[in-house]
Amino acid sequence: MRLSTSNTLHQGRFSRQSRTVPFLGIILCILFLLGMASRPKPKVYIKKLRHSRYQLIVDRKPYIVKGVCYNPIPIGQNHEYDWWSSPDKPWIVDGKLMQEMGVNTIRIYQAGENPEAVKKVIRDMYELYGIRTILGHWLGFWEYPCPFYGDKIFQDKIKKEVLEMVELYKDEPGLLLWILGNENNYSCLGMVNKWSTPEIDNEPDPQKQKAMRARIYYSYVNGLVAQIHKIDPNHPVALGNGELIGLEFAREFAPDVDLVACIIYRGRTFGSLFRSLKATFDKPVLLSEFGADAYDAYLKKEDQNMQAFFLESQWRQIYENLADNKEGEGNCLGGTTFEWTDEWWKHDENNPESWKVHDTESNWSNGSYYFDIKADGNKNMNEEWFGIVALSEELENGLNKRIPRKAYYVIKEFWKNPSLDNKSKNKVKK
Amino acid sequence: MIKSQITNYKSQTNSNTKSPKFQTDAFLLVIVISVLYIVCNLVLGICNFCYAQDSDKSAALSKQIIGAKSNAELYAPFEELKDSYFKDNKYTEFVESLRALSQQKKALEPFTDYYIALSRYQQLKYLEETQGWDEYFSQGNTYRDELTKAAQNAIDATTINEPLNPYARLILWQFHKDQQDAFAEQALTDLMNSVMEYSKVSADTKPIKEAADKLLSYGEKGKSKELYRIYAEKLAASDIKDDSLAAIASGFYKEGNLDLAESIYNIYLDRITASTPREKLLPVLTDIAREFSYKDQGPSDPVYAEKIFKKIEELAGKKVFDQELMYLRAFNLEKAKEYQKAKDAYIDFLLAFPAATHSDEAVFKVGIINTYILKDKKEGRNYFKELISKTGTLRPWGISALYQLGLLSQWEDDLTAANDYYNRLIKEAAGKYPQMLARASERLKEIEEGKPMEYGLKTFLDVSLKEEYSALDMSKIDLRTRPYQANKEQAVNISSAVYAAPTGCMEVQLQYLWSGDLGSKKPSNDQSAFATVYTDTGTQVINLVVVSPSGIIDRSLDLVDTY
Repeated sequence: MRLSTSNTLHQGRFSRQSRTVPFLGIILCILFLLGMASRPKPKVYIKKLRHSRYQLIVDRKPYIVKGVCYNPIPIGQNHEYDWWSSPDKPWIVDGKLMQEMGVNTIRIYQAGENPEAVKKVIRDMYELYGIRTILGHWLGFWEYPCPFYGDKIFQDKIKKEVLEMVELYKDEPGLLLWILGNENNYSCLGMVNKWSTPEIDNEPDPQKQKAMRARIYYSYVNGLVAQIHKIDPNHPVALGNGELIGLEFAREFAPDVDLVACIIYRGRTFGSLFRSLKATFDKPVLLSEFGADAYDAYLKKEDQNMQAFFLESQWRQIYENLADNKEGEGNCLGGTTFEWTDEWWKHDENNPESWKVHDTESNWSNGSYYFDIKADGNKNMNEEWFGIVALSEELENGLNKRIPRKAYYVIKEFWKNPSLDNKSKNKVKK
Repeated sequence: MIKSQITNYKSQTNSNTKSPKFQTDAFLLVIVISVLYIVCNLVLGICNFCYAQDSDKSAALSKQIIGAKSNAELYAPFEELKDSYFKDNKYTEFVESLRALSQQKKALEPFTDYYIALSRYQQLKYLEETQGWDEYFSQGNTYRDELTKAAQNAIDATTINEPLNPYARLILWQFHKDQQDAFAEQALTDLMNSVMEYSKVSADTKPIKEAADKLLSYGEKGKSKELYRIYAEKLAASDIKDDSLAAIASGFYKEGNLDLAESIYNIYLDRITASTPREKLLPVLTDIAREFSYKDQGPSDPVYAEKIFKKIEELAGKKVFDQELMYLRAFNLEKAKEYQKAKDAYIDFLLAFPAATHSDEAVFKVGIINTYILKDKKEGRNYFKELISKTGTLRPWGISALYQLGLLSQWEDDLTAANDYYNRLIKEAAGKYPQMLARASERLKEIEEGKPMEYGLKTFLDVSLKEEYSALDMSKIDLRTRPYQANKEQAVNISSAVYAAPTGCMEVQLQYLWSGDLGSKKPSNDQSAFATVYTDTGTQVINLVVVSPSGIIDRSLDLVDTY
């Protein structure tokens, strides 16, 4: 009986408690949710879905990057030309053409030296045409004699430049994300822009040397990413990387990067890239440089169809691997085609006379672009012919007249109606 | 009025008759026009006839298809119908006719679906090959869509017992493989499963072989081998006689389908090994080994040949090899770039047949392999010295051995010894080996003028002989020569491929440091390949070191025999 009384007493206390606890819980939940709601979401962020699928979210909406690499060097000038400050404002003409095509993003390899001019371009593109900007930094890859990623002075110099860039442009409404580096990882393999440190020089095994360089480089990039995150929580930071080379080291030494921005030239598609990336370094991927040239080095004539053929196929695979296509890997955020306009200075960059000539001599070979691989020495890649918009020597309002190539129209159509080769094609949002 | 007109006409005709040239021209014109008219009509007639014939044929085949009582009766007429359209690249017309057929008889749908998929597949390929871009861009998506849907329908509507199932899987895989898309891997797994399941329930081997052939043509060597093995096993499981099996294998060998030939030979050998006496089995094995051994012309698979050589050795020991077969085995290993094994095989050959025709060549090659590939300079020297210590006139390999000994001495800075070797070479080779004489004279000149050895040659010797370069194991350069057994003055093509680290679109300028016996040509440093001729008999040693801006990539060496 006592037991029973005691039980009753206890029950009474418990029942009061049981009424209070849920009430408090609800209050706490409401406070927590209010707190959550008051904490603003980053303007641009990457949403991780189930099964390592990723979606880029911009202003709370999913965003597919439908972009182009943008470097509008006029005929007769080279890469040192400051188009940002050009009174003819090439981006105004280009932005309109891009908007008509459906481009929503431009990728810029590195900002110009005049911050006001850069801001003007980013704002004009966004305010006039709704086009967002990806800003990149070379991370000193082209510094003479080589990028000393193992050297503290060099590291600090580049870090200062990068953080200044972030401070300057992070509040631009048109900014989409940052890309650090481009194909800098190839320098770790020692074939291009090779750099070293005394420790690496003392290591006799070339494989270990490569691993040492990769560790230094990716750790350095990771440090930069962490710093950028502190200054600018509103924009993701991408690791620019040639192919998937070295990403096994990035997994270990650069875990803070938000996405990988891959530079890929594999011809018709990207092969197993999306799956391989998942296995190597499970991060979302932006195809930040890919494309095809519009010159048949074998037949020695312009071939717009060949370029359109490759580009359409490449974009199809990008769409197949977006998050909302269940059949694909779901880790692709979109791409920025290389490139918007031709650049006539590229073949012989030290010879100003050749900047006025649309050179047809190829500099490199790539068997995946098979139509003209039988060209002399198999050199079929024409660096000055990658534009989806050709430049004419004829001037229009001070600018070389823009002549969209077939790829411009083919991709425009594709973006309007992205047709994939599988059952769920209708599910892909435009 | 009328009269005057008649008069006018007459006068006109009269005036015409006045010019005989005009008359002839007009006559000729009439003749030409008439002939053209007849020819055009004839062509048109022929076309109409052909069209009518084609049309009749199509109608007859369609009738046959509609009237077929079983699926088995459908394959042949459908194939014939397909060929009649495909030969003129009439893909869309074929698709339309297939749709008409399926409307007439719904049971035909798996077939019509399969052929629609096949047709659209061929059409897309055709448009790409002929660069029919207008249609490609405007219709490509529709065709791709039709292809995948139709192939899937055919798969869904058939069971694993029907050949149509693996065929539809095959076309779907080919499509995804061509597209290099995310579905290619799954499509390949599905295809393999389908073919394997089919092989379990059906005696029909055709779809298995066709799938294997296609896989091989797409570079899926492992998978094609798997299916060829199944095909060969099914063939062996049938009532086929041993001789017929060997003949089929030989047939595939002649076609150049070595994978399939090897699979069938393996089964054939398994079949006969237990029941055939050793003395009868050995010639069979020898013939197969010979067939697959390296040769400059015709198909060969040195690795498979060596497998058979091993079988012979296991069966009867090394003593069963005659002089020619023993040399062939060593030569085959040399061409397979299995240098350590080749060296051992040449030594076996020398022990068994010290006075053979090829003995000097074998001694020289063992010397070269020891020195430059296995980095055993001392052992290599012993072999070269063996060649120069022979009495009488030195054969070409003795002359080459003198050069090699001179080279090694020069590299070691023992210039007196080098001088002696080169001078002896010049004396012994006078009037007989002009290219070797020229090389020895160059080296002597370097010594006389106190100059360093030619840069390419010195680099090759450094990289091959110094311990610090031991990581360079000849695996990053594929150096090939065609032919390997050449007559004097015959064109010889030497080419190299370098496996270097990827550099994206940043082209790395490679330097090709050629040295050694390069014949009549002196290739420049940017040449990865060149053609040459040799005027000397003997074994020519071609050396290559490839250098990138960041250092030496690797070295390689190749041997060519000239007669």
